Amino acid sequence: MARVGVYVCHCGLNIAGVVDVEKVAEYAKTLPGVVVTKHYTYMCSEPGQRMIQDDIKAKKLDRIVIATCSPRMHEETFRRAVAEAGLNPYLTEIVNLREQVSWAHTHEPEKATEKAKALVRMGVARARLLEPLEKRRVSVEKSVLVVGGGIAGIQASLDLANAGFPVYLIEKAPSIGGRMAQLDKTFPTLDCSACILTPKMVDVAKHPNITMLTNAEVTDVKGFVGNYEASILKKPRYVDEKRCVGCELCTEVCPVKVPDKFNENLAEKRAISIYSAHAVPKIATINPDYCLRLKYDKGVCGKCQEACEAKAINFEQQPETIQVKVGGVVLAVGSEVFNALEMAELGYGRFKNVVSNIEFERISDASGPTGGKILSPKDGKTPKTIAFIQCVGSRDKRFHEYCCRVGCMVTLKQAILAREKIHENVRIYVCYIDVRAFGKGYDEFYRRARDMDIDFVAGLPSEIHATSDGSLYFDVYDKGTNKLLQIRADLVVLGTGLVPNKNLADVSALFHASRSADGFLLEAHPKLKPLESAMAGVFLAGACQGPKDIPDTVAQASGAAAKAMDLLSQGEIELEPLKAIVDEDLCSGCKICAPICPFLAIEMKTDIVDGKERPRAEVIEAVCQGCGLCSSACPTGAIKIQQYSNKQVMTQVEAALAETCAEGGK
Amino acid sequence: MSLIDLMSMAKPNIEARDKILARLSGKELVNCFQCIKCTSGCTALKLLELKPHEIIKLVNLGFVDELPSSDIIWTCVTCLKCVQRCPQKASPYHVIIALRNLAVEKEAKVPEGYLKAVSQILETGQVETYQKIVTRKMETVDRECLKLPKINPPKQSFQAVFMKAMEEKKA
Repeated sequence: MARVGVYVCHCGLNIAGVVDVEKVAEYAKTLPGVVVTKHYTYMCSEPGQRMIQDDIKAKKLDRIVIATCSPRMHEETFRRAVAEAGLNPYLTEIVNLREQVSWAHTHEPEKATEKAKALVRMGVARARLLEPLEKRRVSVEKSVLVVGGGIAGIQASLDLANAGFPVYLIEKAPSIGGRMAQLDKTFPTLDCSACILTPKMVDVAKHPNITMLTNAEVTDVKGFVGNYEASILKKPRYVDEKRCVGCELCTEVCPVKVPDKFNENLAEKRAISIYSAHAVPKIATINPDYCLRLKYDKGVCGKCQEACEAKAINFEQQPETIQVKVGGVVLAVGSEVFNALEMAELGYGRFKNVVSNIEFERISDASGPTGGKILSPKDGKTPKTIAFIQCVGSRDKRFHEYCCRVGCMVTLKQAILAREKIHENVRIYVCYIDVRAFGKGYDEFYRRARDMDIDFVAGLPSEIHATSDGSLYFDVYDKGTNKLLQIRADLVVLGTGLVPNKNLADVSALFHASRSADGFLLEAHPKLKPLESAMAGVFLAGACQGPKDIPDTVAQASGAAAKAMDLLSQGEIELEPLKAIVDEDLCSGCKICAPICPFLAIEMKTDIVDGKERPRAEVIEAVCQGCGLCSSACPTGAIKIQQYSNKQVMTQVEAALAETCAEGGK
Repeated sequence: MSLIDLMSMAKPNIEARDKILARLSGKELVNCFQCIKCTSGCTALKLLELKPHEIIKLVNLGFVDELPSSDIIWTCVTCLKCVQRCPQKASPYHVIIALRNLAVEKEAKVPEGYLKAVSQILETGQVETYQKIVTRKMETVDRECLKLPKINPPKQSFQAVFMKAMEEKKA
């Protein structure tokens, strides 16, 4: 007969403010097998844990039920405490009275208390059937896959590589650098983005521990924490990476013009070209969608091949698949900028002199299409009036409800750059809802903008119009003056926010990293596990987890790298003992379970019994994640999941349905 | 009451406010964060100084006593631009319509045009009556000389249905 101890936590007033904890503890005493019941303000605190440990020793308890917050929060804490007292940690059952009771039923204290009682009844019933389990130890691969070569991926790779971990850095584009490489200056210090980023890009390329794969994508991921196996597709550049010296002789002779993605299509480049001025690696790439030779016929063009002195052009290059084994993954796939075409009223796409803020970065950047002169894309003239419009696509239920977190600071920076570059010859207006300058040195930066004669209009326009000569105007009501203002502008810059990548759903599916309602990747806990995804061994860095500026991205990337080091540094890790077990006598060898397993953890084996072949399923222990799919699919009930056997679950269900305490646990 | 408007010494009327809110399909209709887009684009603002963002904020705070009897709620031309553009789907338009209905309920002064419109719908079945127009050549034309079909007044059953609907709305 099990000796159960039930401990009800007040969680300050989080639980006790709604649930009558004394009543719940009192009720638990009536349940079969319960020897001790107690309630306490903070069960997770040192005295709370000691209370449990003392009882285990003094009252010889062998099952512990703790009615407290979500097991995601403190299950590990309590298991450790129980283990310290000499009891197997898996004889602990957590009943969630906070997230599932007090927080969910704040306004119904009586019903909440009844529900709490029912949950405790279920917990005790299940606890009595718990079996002692041992953690599994598996060895891990001491290398890391970093997906995305923006500043987040670069920082994470460098941190990991410097700590001695081999890193595979995968970048989709022909060069690493990401969004940050496109920026002119950075707030709030006005550091030149290229000056602080380019050296890091070079460090990545030169680092002996980093294998940098550009123009590449992850196509498949198998395995589990500590032992992932990833397939990486390296798309052909049609240029031999070892031979190309980046001289750009090919670009000079290429006759085909293509839109320049790095310059946000504000300029054109050639079908064979180097991605950007600071590209790392500085190797030419042929765009197969435009190249005449690749698109049409083997006989045509080929001018680049003639011009190339290094003999690097190879039209026959094929895609290559590379397999890598890694212990952990850092996802740093970044974000996209909101496409203002979706917001038709602002005229983006219709009026050439309405630009997005990322386009303005290219216009202002020294390596951009205008050589760093701020010129209107419509007529190439210096604008006399620039208007910035904030919150385009963000804080808007029609598009994205969240605050983009960078738009205000980007606009302040761009307004300051415009003032510095065009001096007193430009009027600058910023139409805003609020100016959110919350970071270190950010509000000082806002003041700096106001000092530079930049006018802030407290209100957003409803729409932008163009006159017959193409100049822009819009009406905006200013909260400060209570006046309806009409602003005529030669250049309108839209404060477009950051949005999830279009292919983030694929990334999410590939790595089993779930997404939050806003579309970004979801962290394991919003406060306490901001660097981890729900998938063990997959970490998150940068704007793929939510819109972020550079300082926050770098901080998160270093954090994610540290988490990966923490995971892999010991060379082996402990895994939860929740795994599937096959009862050989019951297994009919029907093979239903094997294809269902998402982790490919079931192998079919064949035994010879009495001279006959007898197939049966076998679980590869290290690979099984204990998800339970096989167990529910098994027609003979041969597969059970430890800690979640049919008997344990059904007993709990029966306890849930038992109406009074007298029937509880039967 | 914890809130007071020192300019007019007015106090919020929460009861009246909740009556207005009850007429809106969901509370989010007053989830306004004052981005001023509605007022910036308001068709009636330029002519009649209707400030939708003010109306929505006054309702939010509960300063609603003056609103149903004010002329300002009748100046909205129901172009629905604010509904379309509002980033919070807060829609000043729906608040204004709720205020208008409240005004009718309270038997506050309703601009003559609206009453005329009602009787016109009853008589002709149309919101706008057909008119004579002057062409660029300064000729006056009407439907008859343009050989357009004659429009018949509505049947009596239409009037009965219309009146019934009006009564039901009131109740």
